[in-house]
This record gives sequence, C-alpha cells and structure tokens, in this order.
Amino acid sequence: MKNVVVRTENLTKRYKNTLAVDKLCMEIEEGEIYGFVGANGAGKTTTMRIIAGLLAPTSGSVFVDGIDVSKKPLQVKKHIGYMPDFFGVYDDLKVSEYLNFYAGMQGIEKNRCDTLVDSLLELVRLTHKRDAYVDTLSRGMKQRLCLARSLIHDPKFLILDEPASGLDPRARVEMKEILMELATMGKTILISSHILHELSQICTSIGIIDSGRLVACGSVREVSDRMSHSGKLKIKVSSKEEEAVKVLLEIPEIKGVSSAAGMIDVDVIGQDDTYADILRTLVEKGIPVISFQPQESSLESVFMQLTEGGNGNDN
Amino acid sequence: MTINPILKKDLKTKLRGWRSTILICCYVTLLTGILFLYFASSNMFNPRSYQSFNPRMAIDAYNILITFQFALLFIAVPAITAVSISSERERQTLDLMLVTATPARRIILGKIMVSIAHTMLLLVASLPVIGIVFFFGGIGFADIAKLLLFYLLTAFFVASCGVFFSTIFKRNITAIITTYIFLGLVTFGPFVGFLIYAMLHQRMPGGFNPVYRDFVTGLFPSPVFGYISFYFGSYGGYGGYIFGISDVQRQIEMLLAAETGIWKYMHPWIVNGLFSIISSILLIFFSSLALNPVKRKY
Repeated sequence: MKNVVVRTENLTKRYKNTLAVDKLCMEIEEGEIYGFVGANGAGKTTTMRIIAGLLAPTSGSVFVDGIDVSKKPLQVKKHIGYMPDFFGVYDDLKVSEYLNFYAGMQGIEKNRCDTLVDSLLELVRLTHKRDAYVDTLSRGMKQRLCLARSLIHDPKFLILDEPASGLDPRARVEMKEILMELATMGKTILISSHILHELSQICTSIGIIDSGRLVACGSVREVSDRMSHSGKLKIKVSSKEEEAVKVLLEIPEIKGVSSAAGMIDVDVIGQDDTYADILRTLVEKGIPVISFQPQESSLESVFMQLTEGGNGNDN
Repeated sequence: MTINPILKKDLKTKLRGWRSTILICCYVTLLTGILFLYFASSNMFNPRSYQSFNPRMAIDAYNILITFQFALLFIAVPAITAVSISSERERQTLDLMLVTATPARRIILGKIMVSIAHTMLLLVASLPVIGIVFFFGGIGFADIAKLLLFYLLTAFFVASCGVFFSTIFKRNITAIITTYIFLGLVTFGPFVGFLIYAMLHQRMPGGFNPVYRDFVTGLFPSPVFGYISFYFGSYGGYGGYIFGISDVQRQIEMLLAAETGIWKYMHPWIVNGLFSIISSILLIFFSSLALNPVKRKY
C-alpha cells in the first residue's frame, strides 16, 4: 500500500455567509496525479490554498506527509511546491535571478543554486532564456518558469492550480509533457484544470468538487463507471447494416441507433453485461460484426452529471 | 551568515543601471546647493564681511543639513516601506513568498532592511557635504557617528511602521496615507500634548516648573525629541529659527545638566532610540502575525 501524501479531514472554509469548502475529506497517495475538477467558485483554489498553508481553514485539518499544516506550516512548506493560477513574477529580474531569489527564499545554499537553476531550466525547456528578463517571456514560458520556481526546493508534492490556463495548444502540450516527466520522477501532483479532456489523459485519479463538497473521487475509470448508467457503442459491420439496425432496435436496453457507411452508433442503458448480450444477439442473428467497441464516458459527461446534482454522492 | 534574499534581490535590481547613481548624485548636489545658498546668503563669501570667518555659521549650516536629512528620512522611508507588502500583494507575489520556507518575520525584516539600506546609502553619500563643517570646528566625528546611529534607529522605527500598515492594508494608497498620519501623530502629537499639559498647569498655583524627567515622560515617543540632541544651539543664523527648536533644545539641555543619577545619561536621542527599538520589535512582531497565512483568517 502506498503512502498517503495528502489527507484532509472534514476541511471547511467559511467566508461570512459563503461556505467555500464543506467538510471535504480527500486522500492523495504517493506518486499520484490527482485531477481536481470543479466549476468556477466550486472551492478548488480555496482547498489548494489551505493545503499549501496559505489560508487557515475554519475547521478541519490538512496533513501533508503526516504533518499538520496548521501546526507546523514551515515544515510542511519544505515538502510542497505551489503554482497558483497567476504568474507572480518580477519583471525587473532575469530568469536565472528569479529562480535564484526563490532558491534563497527556500534556504538553499548559494553554492548549489547555479547547478539547480540550470537543471530546472533544462527541465522546463528555458535554458536559452537564462539571461532574458522575465517580462520578455511569452505566457507559456512564464508559466513554465513558475513551474520551475515551484520545483526549486525539490518538493515531493506539487499543487498546480490551472497550469494550462490561457495557454495556446502547443504550450499546453509542452506543459503536459513536463507534467508527465515530473510524474515519472515520482512527484505527487494535485492539479486543477478546466480542460477535462487533458486531465483525463494525465491523471491517475480525480476528485470532483461541487459547491465545496467532494462529490466523487477515484480513478477516472472508477468515477466514470460509478456515475454512468448509460454508454455508447460503436459497431462496424461488413454488410447487412439495415438488418443489424433492426436487430438492435428490438433490444429493450438500446435507446437509440444511428448508422452510416457500415458504422453503427448505439446508445445503451447498462454496462458490461448488457454489451455482452448485444454482441451475442448480433452474432446469433448472423450479422457480420467486424468491430464492437464500447465508448468510455468522457470526463466532461461525468462532470456534467455530477455537478448538476442529479447523481452526486457525498464523500 | 546568509544575506536576506529580499534585501539581496532588491539591491540587485535597484542598483542595476544608472538610476540609483543619478539619484544619489542629485541628492548630494541638492545638499551642496543648500549649503552654498546658505553661505552665499550669509555674505560669507564676501572677503570684506566680518562674517567671512565666523565659524558659528558653519554650525547653523550643519543644523540646516541635518534637519533636511531628518525630514527626508520621514518622507522617503515610509514611501518605500508603506508599499512593500501591499505591492507584493498587488503584484501577486506575496503568496509565492509565503509558500516558501522563509518565515513571515524574515520577510518583514527583509523589507525593513531594504528601506534602511537605501536611506543609509543616501546618508553616507552625503557625509562629505556634512564634513564641510569640520573645516570650521565645533563638531566632531563622534557627533556625526551618534547622529548616524540615531538616524539608523529612527529609520528602523519609521520603516517598521510602514511595513506594519502595508501588512494590514491591502491597498497601497491606504497603507501610505495611514503611515504618514500615524508618523505625524507620533512625531508632533507628544509636543502638542505636552504644550496643552504645560498651559493647563501654568494656570495652577505655583505655575509649571518642569524638570527633565517631565520632558522625557511627555515627549519620548517623538523622533523630534531625539533629534534635539543633535541640534546645536543657534548663534543667530537661519538655522536657529527652524520651528523654534533652538529654545526647546536650550531648555532641555539645561534641565538635563541639572539631573542626577542615571537620568543624567538619558539624553533625548538615547531615550527616543530605546523607544524606537522597542516599538519596532513590537511592530515587527505584529506584522509577522498579520502576515502569517495560517493565523490569518481572510
């Protein structure tokens, strides 16, 4: 069993009459990339700021590597790298000076700084910008520089709040590649993003937050399966397309069928057992099935279902 | 010992390029100009004037220079420190500092050191101008050293006030205005209070006959009270008329000379310096508390 790097216990944050985080219980295991999903104002940033020790909770506790954040904040900060959803850069500093400044703030000895800065710049692909002023960098470069800053003290746990926000497709791909590289280095990452498709590609687990409550958590597949009672099938036939459609429409679990050029899209209520029944029926009726592919529920559809409040479970 | 990273960064960025050099040159030129104008208006350069060799005029020139520098300290230091934390907040870099292993107390100290470093740079750069008075005698190196120490302590206090209000208020402008108002009250408030107290007691039987301790009790928080120690009695020049300080200074010096025991050594600048140290420590403590994110509930 892996170590739990982050654990929140009934974490609650109230701003006057607004409940930003409501008894949130969450666990992130070592080496996980945990996607934190929620609409604007759902409580993602507030939760991340509390975990980073930047905000005091109204009640509840946060433990990072077993250390209580509110009791030993400085000790916890040695283990956390935090990248907020804004740049926070000094325009009058050069790239290497910027990183050296934060190395100093993290208490790293001067003789280690230069090597450290060089290796980080290489990781975030900014070596060629070492002596450039920060204000001359593009948005994507600034974002990568901020990621390098959050890694300066080699933390085991990273909190990344919307790291791909406002980036163009190329910069997003670059950021995704760097995050994958960090995961292979053994970092545990808590990441929030609105680009759910990308999150589903890189995350090992997700947590969906709605109105301050964690409504679902687990691996992307687990959450999808748990929440989704309907699915889609893509069936390819070599011939007898019309006959196949007729057969499919006779099955009560099938709610809709559309076909074109040998490809049949099917909306099904049910899961694996139902899919097996459908395939068996088609084969028994002599339909030449070339491929039979259940489509996974997208994170978007799960997110939409959960945040509508229809199927949400309290955790 | 490692240099505070905030101080290091600030010195690196502010002293890069020509801006700081030009600022220092302008400041020294301004002081020299003031000195020149004073001597010129006093007819000192006229070889036929008997005042040409009057060394007392140099003392008045010294009074003018140190008053100018004292005023500058109250204008420049709050301008730097009252925005020190709030500007980090506006630039969205405060969170990035607070998430590091550097404690809030060290961040506050770094910001104070930045303003003191800039002020001391200007003060030290102006020493050759003040040094002109050495030609005429009457003021020694010890006086200048004590003056610099007093300025340092006052700058520490003023900077602590600025950082404190910068920590409390989110907006730059609110922090600046509050700092200046607070410093105004601390500087002139005790004098106003003491004056009212004296006027009320003067009407009573026996009148108002203060001793040195009364002045200390009433005026100790005011940096102007400490500054009086360095103000040499006027000898008729313009320097003597600066806010009527000369009369107050003469009376305080007289009463101090009459004191006995430990009070004899409690010069105004020492009393005020002690106040500056204690209040600065308290302000730093409260600023650190206000800045500590885990303690902060907003």
